[in-house]
Amino acid sequence: MLEVVNVTKRFGGIVALRNVSLKVERGERIAIVGPNGSGKTTLFNVINGVYPPEEGKVIFEGADITMLPSYKRAWLGIARAFQIPRPFPNITLRESVAIGALFGSLYGKIGAREALEIADERLKLVGLYDKRNELTGKLAVPELKLLEFAKALAMKPKLLLLDEIVAGMPPSAVDYIVSLVRKISDEENIAIATLVEHVMRAVVKFAERVIVLHLGSKVLEGRPEEVLRNPLMEEIYLGKRWSL
Amino acid sequence: MMGYRAFLLTVFTLLILVALRFITEAEPIGFITPQFVTFVMFYVALGLAFNIFIGMTGYVDFGYVAFMALGSYAMASAINRASSLSLPGYGAIILGLVETIVLTFILALIVGGIALRLRGAYFAIATISVNEGLRFLVDGLDIWGGSAGIYVSGPLIRLVGHEAYSFIALIVSDLLLYATAFIALIITFVYLNSRIGYALKAIREDEDAAKVMGVNTTFYKVLAFSTSGILGGLIGASWALKLAAVYPPEAFNIFYTVEAIVIVMLGGAGTFLGPIVGGAVYGGLKYVLSGYIPGYQLLIFAPILIAIIVMVPQGVIGFLRERSERLREFIA
Repeated sequence: MLEVVNVTKRFGGIVALRNVSLKVERGERIAIVGPNGSGKTTLFNVINGVYPPEEGKVIFEGADITMLPSYKRAWLGIARAFQIPRPFPNITLRESVAIGALFGSLYGKIGAREALEIADERLKLVGLYDKRNELTGKLAVPELKLLEFAKALAMKPKLLLLDEIVAGMPPSAVDYIVSLVRKISDEENIAIATLVEHVMRAVVKFAERVIVLHLGSKVLEGRPEEVLRNPLMEEIYLGKRWSL
Repeated sequence: MMGYRAFLLTVFTLLILVALRFITEAEPIGFITPQFVTFVMFYVALGLAFNIFIGMTGYVDFGYVAFMALGSYAMASAINRASSLSLPGYGAIILGLVETIVLTFILALIVGGIALRLRGAYFAIATISVNEGLRFLVDGLDIWGGSAGIYVSGPLIRLVGHEAYSFIALIVSDLLLYATAFIALIITFVYLNSRIGYALKAIREDEDAAKVMGVNTTFYKVLAFSTSGILGGLIGASWALKLAAVYPPEAFNIFYTVEAIVIVMLGGAGTFLGPIVGGAVYGGLKYVLSGYIPGYQLLIFAPILIAIIVMVPQGVIGFLRERSERLREFIA
């Protein structure tokens, strides 16, 4: 469904992504793993249309979307939940989520009323329904992360990009969110790509396939248990073993 | 429907103002005269029209008066051309309104299409230069009479006669102004309850996040900007009917923009009742103070405004809205 072909992205002299290719199939869950600075966020920004790559292509459902602005990608069914929540502080939770419904893959097909209904349903799903009429600015950070997720889900996406949604959360919350995401992705056949820096617990429980980025290049790809056991992972995160 | 109670309350308040205008025609109630009501209404309409852009998108347009000026000029020039086009008086006014809409829409598309790519303070500064640039363009290229301006009252009297002139300058001009205020209010309500309102709120809150969520930010910003601009033009066009002449330093006076900002901030940006409260407080105070202590009104006016803005930075209505969830339904 999503195909990233030989993408290279430079910022001045820094090569953030070097000839990276990957594929995501419909309904599949993948994790993109790598230490800080490995190019994970840049890759998401390229898929999402925040900036175009210098070389390579991004193909979604057979169409070349490399140069498409991000709002049009949202209409095609690509949604994103940010690592640092990007709330709309002065409006209610219900309205925030309704914005996702109105401008996501249902853009132009539904009105405000239907969008609010979708918002209610999505808020129930993540457990924020009781707070639906509160202003978003009053939420605590874990709730904001759930809201971010509800906003992205309201867009009825085919592909959901999750930036480190479990980073900085207690283990119990990680388990809860991971099982929630799995459930929704199964029920609605949504492909999910998530970025993970170091909560490997989430990776094993969640992803069907893992892609490891290091210094802008794809170095490993495979099933989570295999990839995480690969000696190269230790080297990437901790450096080379040495002995006297 | 979102905010329909607040909308109805606001419509009701506007209707009271209109009624007051015609009741006081026979006999003034205290200091409330038709002139007072219309003076207040000018600021209410200005607040309502400006609010569509500043309140919903969070962008500040320092060049707003350019739209009003364009409206005034369109009306004045239509009246001056009426006799050569052999138009009757009301035909000239209709032509003036149509030209206002066309000209302000074009200006909004040009300025919006370019300047709305900038954010925050950069946008504000760009719009100041649009206003000043237009002013010197009119002045320097001798467009619309250049620095001398265009007469309005003289040609209008020659066109329709004295009796009809005073009817136009007092009643027709007021009605057009009031109608503009109503149209601005209705558009606010329609926008707020449609996709447009959600898009504008998302832009106001976080433009980058809005774009990722599928909002074509440029389109909606230009839409709000041109709606607000056209309404500003209509205010300028209606007001021009009362004037002796339209000339650059007055028509492009940045003070009107500042007043519009003050009204919206005072009442509460992005609310229905806000511009009415802001317009009534500002217009009312200005009228009364300049009547009792002419020349010194700003000395009292400025501290009052500073006090309000320091104490309730989110505006009177914004403050009340934050205080109570129940009030929110009625006023926001």
